[in-house]
Amino acid sequence: MADVTLSPLHRADGSATFTSNGYSVVAAVNGPIEVQRRDELPEEAAIDVAIRPAAGVGGVRERHLESILQSTLRHVILVSAHPRTLIQVTLQIISSTEGSFNVGDLPQATSNLPILPALLQASILALLSTSIPLSMTLTATLVAVDGQRLKSDPSAEELKVASSIHVFAFSSHGNLLVVESEGEFGIETWEEAYQNARLACRGDEENDSESEDVSMDSDNDTKLEDVLRIAVRQKVAREQKWKLDLRSATT
Amino acid sequence: MATKTLVFPGDIISPEVLPIPTNPSLPLKLGPGLRHVPPSTITSTLAGPLCIDRKKNAIWVENNTGRYIPQPNDLIIATVHHSSTDIYHCSITPHTAFAQLPQLAFEGATKKTRPQLNSGSLIYARILSASKHTDPEIVCYNPSTGKSEGMGELKGGMLFDISMAMARRLLMHKQKADGGIALLEEIGGKVAFEIAVGRNGKVWVKSGGVNETLLVGRALQETDTQGLGIEEQVKVVRRLMRQV
Amino acid sequence: MPREAEPSINERAFILEALQENIRLDGRPLDAFRELHIAFGEEYGVADVQLGKTRVLCRISASIASPYPDRKFDGIFTITTELSPLASPAFEVGRQSDLETHLSRVLETTLRRSQALSTESLCLIAGQKVWSLRADIHILSHFGNLIDTSCIAALAALRHCRIPDTSIKGGVLIVYTPLERDPVPLALLHHPLCITLNYFESGEKMLVDATLQEQQCSEGEIVVSANPQGEVCLVQKGGGGEVDALVLLRGIGLAVGKVREVGKVIDRVLEEDAKRRDKGGVVSRELRAENER
Repeated sequence: MADVTLSPLHRADGSATFTSNGYSVVAAVNGPIEVQRRDELPEEAAIDVAIRPAAGVGGVRERHLESILQSTLRHVILVSAHPRTLIQVTLQIISSTEGSFNVGDLPQATSNLPILPALLQASILALLSTSIPLSMTLTATLVAVDGQRLKSDPSAEELKVASSIHVFAFSSHGNLLVVESEGEFGIETWEEAYQNARLACRGDEENDSESEDVSMDSDNDTKLEDVLRIAVRQKVAREQKWKLDLRSATT
Repeated sequence: MATKTLVFPGDIISPEVLPIPTNPSLPLKLGPGLRHVPPSTITSTLAGPLCIDRKKNAIWVENNTGRYIPQPNDLIIATVHHSSTDIYHCSITPHTAFAQLPQLAFEGATKKTRPQLNSGSLIYARILSASKHTDPEIVCYNPSTGKSEGMGELKGGMLFDISMAMARRLLMHKQKADGGIALLEEIGGKVAFEIAVGRNGKVWVKSGGVNETLLVGRALQETDTQGLGIEEQVKVVRRLMRQV
Repeated sequence: MPREAEPSINERAFILEALQENIRLDGRPLDAFRELHIAFGEEYGVADVQLGKTRVLCRISASIASPYPDRKFDGIFTITTELSPLASPAFEVGRQSDLETHLSRVLETTLRRSQALSTESLCLIAGQKVWSLRADIHILSHFGNLIDTSCIAALAALRHCRIPDTSIKGGVLIVYTPLERDPVPLALLHHPLCITLNYFESGEKMLVDATLQEQQCSEGEIVVSANPQGEVCLVQKGGGGEVDALVLLRGIGLAVGKVREVGKVIDRVLEEDAKRRDKGGVVSRELRAENER
């Protein structure tokens, strides 16, 4: 389903790649580092987000996504722990479902939202690979609505015919961090999309956090939160390897 | 020994996991990676294994990646960047505020006889103070005894980068038993060398020749990046010694 | 403004002392490259190159545009290199550093001005429609020698790239989708690569593929771009310590040898990729013919 690598880049303080559903993003976090005087905040760390597209230089789309990410990360990172410093988050889009050959389609015609979940996931994973304190983790997903049908992780063709698309990001406490919707929809549709997204991210329905039995008709049974946990578990296991060797050597 | 619980940012530490202190009058100490949310909740702020120490009644989250954050009492290797009246401005990690090293903070230094450090010199120092609101202050001697205790300018030799976890292991009192480091002992048997370990992920090595210094440095780096156990470390050392 | 941290006096002295005995920190010979890995994406025209820990990704994208009014018969080929904090905290977004200018200029000359890619071949309807090709070079990790790595990535991506096939019927341009007609490779006239040489001891010692530390401690840098046929496209020595002219000639000879070596690696990886994509063997026969040209 989703492919995660932690710390692939060696110069950055923390980094991660996140590949899912045709989108591949690498995120790098540097910090806490020195901040320019003009950006300095006396009681908090300043957060700077930069998104670089796969092809070309960034434009309005990247600035829009950067502002969503920046305001989200400000709530996730414990900024009061490092006042007068800078936490620099850079995201490079490695590949997206938009083809490399623009013959006909105007790039402005497609939505900004489909890549947002991958950007959010990659940034959180990169932050987890640094020692920057966070107050929560997050998981994010995209739901496309086509008439009556809801589809998680829609393909590029499904997105083209969708009547509305919704991005949801949940915190590790179960609350909503990001809600971005585009298209025509009613409140009932939104509720359904919300439940669908919650299932994909956290594996539970809103009022049913005790439920172990989750029936999903999609083929991806691993909820996103688990993907995060497994990646971190593997990283910790690699780092603790020497301890196991020590234990077995001394027993 | 059971595997440690893995905690994630935002996880609440339940009272069951807290250590039962050997001395009940000691207050619970929260180390890095944990935060107290009044009135009585403890949450994690990092992702990593939760470690407990019953003797000191302390809990913390072990974290090996990311940038080194200066902590008081840590021994570090810093580079002198520039000097102003009475103070050397040193860099502990790149792209962060400079640490202040008073020019008299050396063993036996007076206004007339003080070490002259150039830009780019390496020093082994201890962090006197560091807080989130101030630039770190470092010294090259023990203020209460006035002795250098191994600190001061590092001349010659070579600097190698290691992970913070490796630095922590090298600085443990029982390097082999608790830190799992056997390579230094192994090399020391055949080659003479000097070594200084900085908690900021730097190791200074000085030996007779270039090859010997590189031998120590490479053995340390390979052990670090590949997570080698004691036996494997000995093998690596033997292989590297054959190449020299 | 963040700047790359300078090595300490101790590190500098040690590297120079080691070089007097022809020893490099990682044990390589003076004229050896670090481990080179080239990987291609699922789509055509994306190359991910790793040279030691330095990592560069190049993506070729294309669109149809109007040609420049003074160049009616030529297509457009632009190369962009933007250094970001991904590669090193010393790089800032939006600010062009000296290194970026240097890198950009060398790649421009090597790949564009040398007509490695024939811009004439990109022309579709003279004066009206041409292919506008973009090579976006993303530096993911900076451990020295960005120039050589970026050039390898760009050339590999160009050789790997396939653009839609086109035809003109009655003055109307028809662009075929991959389902209608197989996309076609780009017309590359020759395959130039850059080799950066960092010198020490007034040129006595020349290092190929220097790490960041070695680059910072060197007396200067000479960049030579050449193709496997031995034709030189660029020789650049921007400042640095003075060297004897013979040293320069020796460097060029060394560089041409390295270009042939790396060229062979790219050939091999392209062949493997073609075999992987096309089990029939048609494409690999084509590639072999291209190599023999």
